[in-house]
Amino acid sequence: MTSTWRLVAVLAGICAVAGFALAGVYEVTKEPIAYQKKLEVIRSLDAVLPGLSTDPDSFFLDMNREDGTPVRVFRSPGEGGATVAGAAFQVVAPDGYSGNIYIMMGVFPDGKLGGIEILSHAETPGLGSLIEKEEWKGIFRGRSLDNTNFKVKKDGGDIDQLTGATISPRAISGAVEKGLIWFRDNRDEVLDAASGAQPATTSGVTS
Amino acid sequence: MSGYGQEFTKGLWKENPVFRMVLGLCPLLAVTSTAINGIAMGLASTFVLVCSNTVVSSLRSIIPDKVRIPSFIIVIASFVTIVDLTMNAWAHQVHKTLGLFIPLIVVNCLILGRSEAFASRNPVLRSVIDGFGMGVGFTVALFLLGTVREIIGSGTFFGYPILGTAYTDVLVMILPPGAFLAMGVMLGAFNSLDRT
Repeated sequence: MTSTWRLVAVLAGICAVAGFALAGVYEVTKEPIAYQKKLEVIRSLDAVLPGLSTDPDSFFLDMNREDGTPVRVFRSPGEGGATVAGAAFQVVAPDGYSGNIYIMMGVFPDGKLGGIEILSHAETPGLGSLIEKEEWKGIFRGRSLDNTNFKVKKDGGDIDQLTGATISPRAISGAVEKGLIWFRDNRDEVLDAASGAQPATTSGVTS
Repeated sequence: MSGYGQEFTKGLWKENPVFRMVLGLCPLLAVTSTAINGIAMGLASTFVLVCSNTVVSSLRSIIPDKVRIPSFIIVIASFVTIVDLTMNAWAHQVHKTLGLFIPLIVVNCLILGRSEAFASRNPVLRSVIDGFGMGVGFTVALFLLGTVREIIGSGTFFGYPILGTAYTDVLVMILPPGAFLAMGVMLGAFNSLDRT
């Protein structure tokens, strides 16, 4: 009996020490991890809305996609903060080669794309993963529903597919097009600077 | 006091975890598509190996035989979680690339194997050296495999193109089958070197 208790005591002791140690590490790393996640968002916002400064913690607007899922629209304040100079939001391409592709896309008020950024994907390394390359992502800059047919060239559209990988670019083009259509349909609401969270620095804004 | 050096070098060559004992192949085959991934995975595993060997060895007289495996696993899993959180906080980009394979270090049989076969029977200092040697051996193996696959598969080394634009990437090398091909050839090379 005593030996059984000893087993229990030793295991419990090790678990307790491990638990405390992990709690400590979690506490220490919590802040840096949150900071890294935020940096990632800021980096993607800077990439998709070039030339604008977009703060993810202010001037955003919580809306719904056409299918009812919530989406947070990050916005860049224009001169004086009373207008919206650009908007960025996340879209999901569910029809990639392997799992969902999460994309951040930035749109200017005239409906032109500032750019897209791949947030996460699980496409085949070396093939589908080439969507991460700047040369490919960059072809979206300046495109809008008016000047572009958002299909890959193989399907008769304007978007370059990648050598050996058509599925990932096709999925992304589709998702970006849907995002642009959503933006067009909700343009007035997105560009209404008075709604949603306000810019952090309100200096110079006449209230 | 002799033999400490040997305790270290055996992990590099005579008992190299990958090329001689063929342990820990799951992460090895999965993450070695580039040299830098191989090194990062190797360093993470080395840290876990050294720490778990230290703890297991210092607790070896306290832990009853019957619960030694669950005890080892708790120790290993704790260190893996620490590595996971730490890398997420301070090496975010690498953490993103290695993704799921960091938590999977827990089930790397190399680490449990060293706890069971070495650390639970040897004094602390020897176990630390053993863990370090094995970890370095594992890292070198991952690095070699990652280098070979990256150069042949993408024509780059640490992300820098070295083979020029005329080179056509052999894509299969950075896909899972390429891992087996490269591993097989390297195992063969190691064996023939050893025989001479």
